Amino acid sequence: MPSVAVLLSVGRHPASGRARRAPLDARALEMAFSLPNAAVHAIHAGNPDEPALRDYLGMGMERLTVLSIPRDGDPVPALTAHLEQLSPDMVLCGSRAEGGEDSGMVPYLIAHALGYAMVADIAAVSASAATATLTQALPRGRRRLIETGLPVVATVNTAAPAPRQSSFGRARRGVIDILAADAPPDTLADQCEIRPWRPRPKRMRLAAAASAADRLKAMTETRSGEGAVMIQPSPEEAARAIYAYLVEKRIIGDGS
Amino acid sequence: MIAAALSGLMLTTLAAGALLAVLNARRWLAGQAASVDLVGGLLALPQRYLGDVHHVVARKPYNALFHALVAGGFLASLPLILLAALPALRGWLLWTALALCLAVMLAGALMVGWRRGVARPSELSGGGFARLPFALLAYAVCLLIVAVDQLAGEALPQTISLTLVAIGALAAADLILGVGRGPLKHALNGALHLIAHPRPARFHHGTRDTAIRALDLTGQKLGTERPVDFAWNRLLGFDACVQCGRCETVCPAYAAELPLNPKKIIQDIAAALDPAATDRAYAGHHHPGRSPGEAHGGRLLPLVGAGAMIHPDTLWSCTTCRACVEECPMMIEHVDAVIDLRRFETLERGATPGKAALALEELRAADNPSGRPASQRIEWAADLALPLIADRGECDILLWLGDAAFDMRGQRSLRALIELLRRAGVDFAVLGADELDCGDLARRLGDEATFQDFARRNIALLGRYRFNRILTNDPHVLHVLRKEYPSFGGRYTVVHHTALLLELIEAGRLAPRGSGRSVTFHDPCYLGRYNGEIEAPRRLLDALGLERIEMERSGLRSSCCGGGGGAPLTDVAGKKRIPDIRMDHARATGAERVAVGCPNCTIMLEGVTGKRPAVADIAELMLEAVA
Amino acid sequence: MTGKRRDPRAERQARLIAGGERKRFALGAVPQPAGRPRRDPRSLRRAATVPGGVRPRIDWHGGARMAARPGPDARPQSQPEIRITADPAFLVLAVADHPGGALSEHDRETIGAARSLADAGGGAVAVLTSGTVEGLAEAGADRVLSVPAGHIGDYDPEARTAAVLAAIDLLKPRHVLFPESAEGGADLARRVAALSGERLFGGVASLSADAASRRMRGGAMEMAAAPPRLMSIAENAFAAHDGVRHEARALDAPAFAPVRRIGTVTPLAIEAGTLSLADADFILSGGNGVTDWAAFAELGRVLGATLGGSRVVCDEGHLPRDRQVGASGSLVTARCYLAFGIAGAPQHLQGITEVRHVVAINTDLHAEMIKRADLAIIADAQAVMPALVAHAKERRDA
Repeated sequence: MPSVAVLLSVGRHPASGRARRAPLDARALEMAFSLPNAAVHAIHAGNPDEPALRDYLGMGMERLTVLSIPRDGDPVPALTAHLEQLSPDMVLCGSRAEGGEDSGMVPYLIAHALGYAMVADIAAVSASAATATLTQALPRGRRRLIETGLPVVATVNTAAPAPRQSSFGRARRGVIDILAADAPPDTLADQCEIRPWRPRPKRMRLAAAASAADRLKAMTETRSGEGAVMIQPSPEEAARAIYAYLVEKRIIGDGS
Repeated sequence: MIAAALSGLMLTTLAAGALLAVLNARRWLAGQAASVDLVGGLLALPQRYLGDVHHVVARKPYNALFHALVAGGFLASLPLILLAALPALRGWLLWTALALCLAVMLAGALMVGWRRGVARPSELSGGGFARLPFALLAYAVCLLIVAVDQLAGEALPQTISLTLVAIGALAAADLILGVGRGPLKHALNGALHLIAHPRPARFHHGTRDTAIRALDLTGQKLGTERPVDFAWNRLLGFDACVQCGRCETVCPAYAAELPLNPKKIIQDIAAALDPAATDRAYAGHHHPGRSPGEAHGGRLLPLVGAGAMIHPDTLWSCTTCRACVEECPMMIEHVDAVIDLRRFETLERGATPGKAALALEELRAADNPSGRPASQRIEWAADLALPLIADRGECDILLWLGDAAFDMRGQRSLRALIELLRRAGVDFAVLGADELDCGDLARRLGDEATFQDFARRNIALLGRYRFNRILTNDPHVLHVLRKEYPSFGGRYTVVHHTALLLELIEAGRLAPRGSGRSVTFHDPCYLGRYNGEIEAPRRLLDALGLERIEMERSGLRSSCCGGGGGAPLTDVAGKKRIPDIRMDHARATGAERVAVGCPNCTIMLEGVTGKRPAVADIAELMLEAVA
Repeated sequence: MTGKRRDPRAERQARLIAGGERKRFALGAVPQPAGRPRRDPRSLRRAATVPGGVRPRIDWHGGARMAARPGPDARPQSQPEIRITADPAFLVLAVADHPGGALSEHDRETIGAARSLADAGGGAVAVLTSGTVEGLAEAGADRVLSVPAGHIGDYDPEARTAAVLAAIDLLKPRHVLFPESAEGGADLARRVAALSGERLFGGVASLSADAASRRMRGGAMEMAAAPPRLMSIAENAFAAHDGVRHEARALDAPAFAPVRRIGTVTPLAIEAGTLSLADADFILSGGNGVTDWAAFAELGRVLGATLGGSRVVCDEGHLPRDRQVGASGSLVTARCYLAFGIAGAPQHLQGITEVRHVVAINTDLHAEMIKRADLAIIADAQAVMPALVAHAKERRDA
């Protein structure tokens, strides 16, 4: 019966800015649920009164442990201390939070501090007594299978199965266990200037056009096709043309 | 001797029937307590039966006639037969009266026989119902002969008379003992249901009691999980179903072969009141694509589930269009049942299917179902410089933009409406980015918590301003604001844009010119059936000088576009699409255009591919006419 | 900034055609004088003015200046110039992903960002790779630190982390830049940060010698500070180095010893059929014009494409709902979209705006999909599918 700790953060809706369950952490929790017979420990370091934490309870956990730390505290020491005591086989969390610094460092720092193996961006997991088999998701649907000894810290990315719905009834009944914890203040924010994100003009790949007019046209025009048209070819001609095009653009390898 | 045998047998049968009825009543009495005005209900019973029920039944005059003949003849024959127990009363008067009653019943029974044996409408159930014409005929014929024979001074040999009495009594037993499981259950339960109806206000004429009841969110269990979680009078209603199949013939989901038959869903709940229940005894059409024997349940078992009485796909196929409720002669509230079951699925199990769960999550976090920034509700109208009520504090008409404001098609309709308001010089303003979702979608998907949150926040927001009326072009908004917010303390005069535009024409503030082009009007369910507004849009179209052609199903009996109840989000697959079916109705009229009065209908009907009439909101048609 | 004065003599000399007894001058094309030409604001503005339109529109983008002031790059280069920074003031280390052994666009952008830091203060860019990687000089690398590929397989983040730490130890770079990529760069950056105990400034979106900024709070805010040592560079935020080749001098790779905790790694074959549409690289999509769905699926298998479809076919149940492409389905980013029998409703086209190559087969010449296509074939989709299956099989077997 593997013991899985899931680190949960409070997310932030991109449009409204309201607190919500963080989508990637919810996926991590869903992944923990998918492990047969796993004892799942859900842990959050932050404000225990945050209502959005109930969204996680609504996914069907009876309890959620909150390490109560001040708003600008560094959660890593508290989490590390708690996990050291818990000594889980596996620590799961989303690959990136969306409500704070969003550095993505927490799992790495914890893995380093506890001497656990660290695997990023997993989409699926299975565990046996001493090893875990993790499916890592790469861009364009590529996957690799990573086998590693336990304990391991793994971050979950968007390729993992979507989290189950959070239900009001379960969220209402779930219990939040509050543990006091120390957190040294994080000073990085003080050294930085924090300001609202100002969207920058999107960098476009420059069309190598001779005149300014052509460049403007290339950038503002809605994309339309190159416009090679074959009208009523025989099916065989059409097939040859399509195949040749796919080979030319290296979409498929030519068999020969 | 014959008379004594007859009345004796009848008395025994009635006593057995009464016992069975009591036993049967224990099934539905297992439900939750409900506050019911029994005396008021009893007093109102004649009016409810002769008025409301007859109004529905009489939509099929043949059925109304045979029902009156059979039921009237049969019920009248019973006391007469019992009276025959008293020798003093056995005279020509009694026998003539009985013969007359039975003759009337015979006529009705022949009509029933013709309907079930010859016409055979496919929505009727078989099983116990298949025996019905035979029992009716046997009872009426045999006892009619006996009565006439008694009048004639017992001309028939006694053995024949006794045989006839025996056959008649057997038929009577089949009928009367049917109060337990058979067709006659509907007579007793139907009457009791009319007395103890969960929505007595629906019988008050002039109101359409269509608002979903608020749910106490502090309750132990939210929504309905098992049969016994329904209130007893609602179980009684389900148990009263006579399986006439009228709901089935009007259900848009059933027509599109989504796995939902409203008749079956009611039967599923009623059957689940028995221990070790299955749906094997059910002898009507199943939920399309599902086969008998898959369903299992019991009064203490969950109703919804893959192997339970109701498959989740069935539950989530419903568009909450209320066509079934509108057609039901037993006054059963199908949609309330669907919503209560959905509430448990969503609030307790977190099992809202498809993209609906995602939409609910976005609603909670961003106040609109697609998770857009609030400012987008009004950004598209930057050029219109809409007056914000926050800047002015008051206005005559508060224009509710609704979620259509996030959709490019919806924006087109809103633009037309705003342009008309400007031309007519209406003093209006909008909430703009402060506006929240009205909560309709959340409530129909069973998420009462999110709905109540929206209701409270919107009411608080509206309380900050002064306005006379709220205007909306979305009947879902109209319904929720007008009928469902009052339970949370928000009372507003809400007007649909078709009603307001008509008002403006009648007041001479807008003068449309006729074009004579043909149009057919698609009644939005939430405007027509939910709110009874079917006249204003039609008068408005006529005022626009359009040639109006009615579809086969229109007005209160209109057919749904498939866009309600979150159905586009739960997205249960069927063989056909609901909007395609509705567009077929529109095509059949030959009209050039379909006029709609709901942004959801616009989207659904415009999504129909192939050659079809153009779809236009009434405001767009009107703008054309005043241009 | 004064330009060089005009020198009629030199101009005349430039027009001189060599050879022959008499002096001959070419009076047509005037070869550009070497060195910096005189700046002519008016002609620059004229060149930058976009013709047409009611309002004057000026495009100050590089092209105009280039056109008015062709530098050495504009001339056909028989011998490419190489820029050598022999004695840099400091080093900027860029760590490349180079998936499959070739620099990715994101790698180039990262090296480009490193270049801008180095160029601002007389520094040099060192690039760390494992194995030999082509094109580093063009990408702007002054130094190349190549760890033997044998050490580090396709995925060995622990060894790469050790290699980066060793390289940092060796070169003492002022900055270390990683691509903030899912190919391994983002992971590597965090491993290095965790092991070195330094803060990582991850996903940098703007960068100068004085300030770097990155998004935070779910992208709503940004934090800016003087560029720290460890940074990872957001995708599509910086221009790749474009122009002069750099030296790309190879340095001796340092020795390193990783701490290994990750066990065996097996790459999995891409199962195109099971990929989500958002992930897919090559999508075969069907619409109303397809009736034989078995042949459609067969074609998908043969070509190794992920299947998708229009709303109508998903409504009709020919494909599951998660295969729907379009505004109400999935927005896809595939490189190639092969559309059979799709007319191209606006909602559908919204779903494929990011697709690079579109091939459409449709009977209607005026279908929107045909207009969008790079290769359009006016034919019956139903007839082309089996022909394409046969052709593809034939070529495979050949």
